[in-house]
Amino acid sequence: MVMDKLSNSLQDALKKLVGAGRIDERTVNDVVKDIQRALLQSDVNVKMVMQLSKSIKERALEEDVPQGMNPREHVIRIVYEELMKIVGEGTDIPLKPQKIMMIGLQGSGKTTTTSKLAHYFQRKGLKPAVICADTFRPGAYQQLKTLCESLNVPFYGEEGNPDAVGIVERGLAEIDKYDVKIIDTAGRHSLENDLIDEMERIHAISSPDYKLLVLDAGIGQQASEQAKAFNDSIGISGVVISKLDGTAKGGGAMSAVAATDSSIAFIGVGETPQDLEKFEADRFISRLLGM
Amino acid sequence: ILDEADVEDILWELEMSLLESDIAISVSEKIVTDVKQELVGSRKKIGGNTSKIVEDALKKSINDVMSANVFDFDEFIDSHEKPVNIVFVGINGTGKTTSIAKIAHRLKSMNKSVVIAAGDTFRAGAIDQIAVHAERIGVKLIKHQEGGDPAAVVYDAVQYAKAHDSDVVLSDTAGRMHTNVNLMAQLQKICRVSAPDLVLFVDEAVAGNDAVERAEQFNEAVPVDGSILTKTDADSKGGAAISIAYITGKPIVFLGLGQEYEDLKKFDPHWFVDQIFS
Ligand SMILES: Nc1nc2c(ncn2[C@@H]2O[C@H](COP(=O)(O)OP(=O)(O)OP(=O)(O)O)[C@@H](O)[C@H]2O)c(=O)[nH]1
Ligand SMILES: Nc1nc2c(ncn2[C@@H]2O[C@H](COP(=O)(O)OP(=O)(O)OP(=O)(O)O)[C@@H](O)[C@H]2O)c(=O)[nH]1
Ligand SMILES: [K+]
Ligand SMILES: [Mg+2]
Ligand SMILES: [Mg+2]
Repeated sequence: MVMDKLSNSLQDALKKLVGAGRIDERTVNDVVKDIQRALLQSDVNVKMVMQLSKSIKERALEEDVPQGMNPREHVIRIVYEELMKIVGEGTDIPLKPQKIMMIGLQGSGKTTTTSKLAHYFQRKGLKPAVICADTFRPGAYQQLKTLCESLNVPFYGEEGNPDAVGIVERGLAEIDKYDVKIIDTAGRHSLENDLIDEMERIHAISSPDYKLLVLDAGIGQQASEQAKAFNDSIGISGVVISKLDGTAKGGGAMSAVAATDSSIAFIGVGETPQDLEKFEADRFISRLLGM
Repeated sequence: ILDEADVEDILWELEMSLLESDIAISVSEKIVTDVKQELVGSRKKIGGNTSKIVEDALKKSINDVMSANVFDFDEFIDSHEKPVNIVFVGINGTGKTTSIAKIAHRLKSMNKSVVIAAGDTFRAGAIDQIAVHAERIGVKLIKHQEGGDPAAVVYDAVQYAKAHDSDVVLSDTAGRMHTNVNLMAQLQKICRVSAPDLVLFVDEAVAGNDAVERAEQFNEAVPVDGSILTKTDADSKGGAAISIAYITGKPIVFLGLGQEYEDLKKFDPHWFVDQIFS
């Protein structure tokens, strides 16, 4: 049972505007409906999509088309501006000594991103070191250790010891002389009280400069709720969207950013330590809209 | 007689709640359109509540999708020649390895002998991860070196199971993007070489619209016989299950409900549909 692939490109929607001399309500309604669909398909939060489409519609009808712009360009600009308000320019993680704590749902890509960040700072001439505070997932220690060894990045962990907080405390003392200290934590979600509590204790003992929430590009409507819970618990300084090398668009991550008033620092585009890119709002928004 | 205007608004609201449950938009639209076609022009009972009629029709339609090809895992194991080879596939990090551990635990408690194939030879720590599970559960693990050919691992595990009269082989594979041509070809090779009795696609309840794309691509590549929806403890709605069942036309076999071995549940369509509408 293969369903017909519906054309969901916003390009099609916007074509409707090319011929239109001026913007009438019907045309705008049509276009906004298509934009709505593109955003929903990209996993943008349903309520946010409704709000967004309302403001896009109002602005498209109220604002005069600027000189030298056709109606199509005018509407594209409005859509772009509204989305920009949400995603912003992205977080720039400074190239200086600091502590970074990685957090997120199970399997979102924290450990892989930890190795990617270590590699990134290393390339920029800083000395990173990594702590494995995931005492829960079988093989977590070996996973991060292997990744760090392949990069020649110092690694601290205590295999078999379930006390994540103690490991972080001792680990930070051990890697004190390194510039960038990255703490990888176990996966958890908002309903796992013990694990949320553990995260708060790791946070308290390490006082990280940055708390990066790693979100899978494919996460759906749960993204905002989950991000809010992490934010309420320890605060989020930035988001990394992983797995953008597939077909997922990352609208969930965008909704999470909106719900927590944070912004996106990096995107992950593959499984190796090299597959990390700086977030670029333009490209992200185009992709979100299916353009 | 119900006309289009009667049902339109109600269906719109229901569609929004389907989207909020993470049923992909393409699937929600299709289901809602079908329900509309069925209802418009039909006669309603005098005094019948339109809202209720529409909601019931939608519920029934989703129930039909989810109840098609019900699948009894235990019966499948019992009715197939030993060893039953099951290969687990899916994109990165959805819960394949953990689901294998849970199923091994379940089979073991049913007195079945299980062999696990450490078919993820790619990801750092993958072999260690499954080795810990196999040891804790107390089942045989067949593994090669990191970087080895996964098809060879799975093949060896099946040979071992044949030689030792084992009941079931559970074969892990590395997570891979459905868009990665080489890795999808590797998966086809694994399935060609080991001729699985069952290929299970593993995806997560927190997934949104992309679940459709992945399910479709994996189903085209291997094809899959059924799916497992993990992490339903993080998202109790888990409409992704509907997207996946709809797109593949194959049953959902198990739900994952947490990170412990006991956190595995046989899929029950009625229970599930009630969750979506609750
Ligand atoms: N294709 C792709 N795969 C990725 C990316 N980032 C991570 N992965 C893969 O996603 C899977 C999960 O990644 P991990 O880094 O183990 O995730 P995690 O958040 O540490 O998982 P837990 O510790 O179990 O919560 C692995 O198979 C990774 O190789 C990415 O950007 N692209
Ligand atoms: N909360 C919850 N976590 C789960 C569930 N199933 C798996 N996980 C967690 O999700 C993370 C990833 O699980 P894995 O089994 O390693 O996933 P995978 O698909 O084998 O990952 P790759 O091999 O890297 O592609 C781990 O931290 C698991 O403990 C579940 O049902 N609920
Ligand atoms: K995931
Ligand atoms: Mg990890
Ligand atoms: Mg795995």
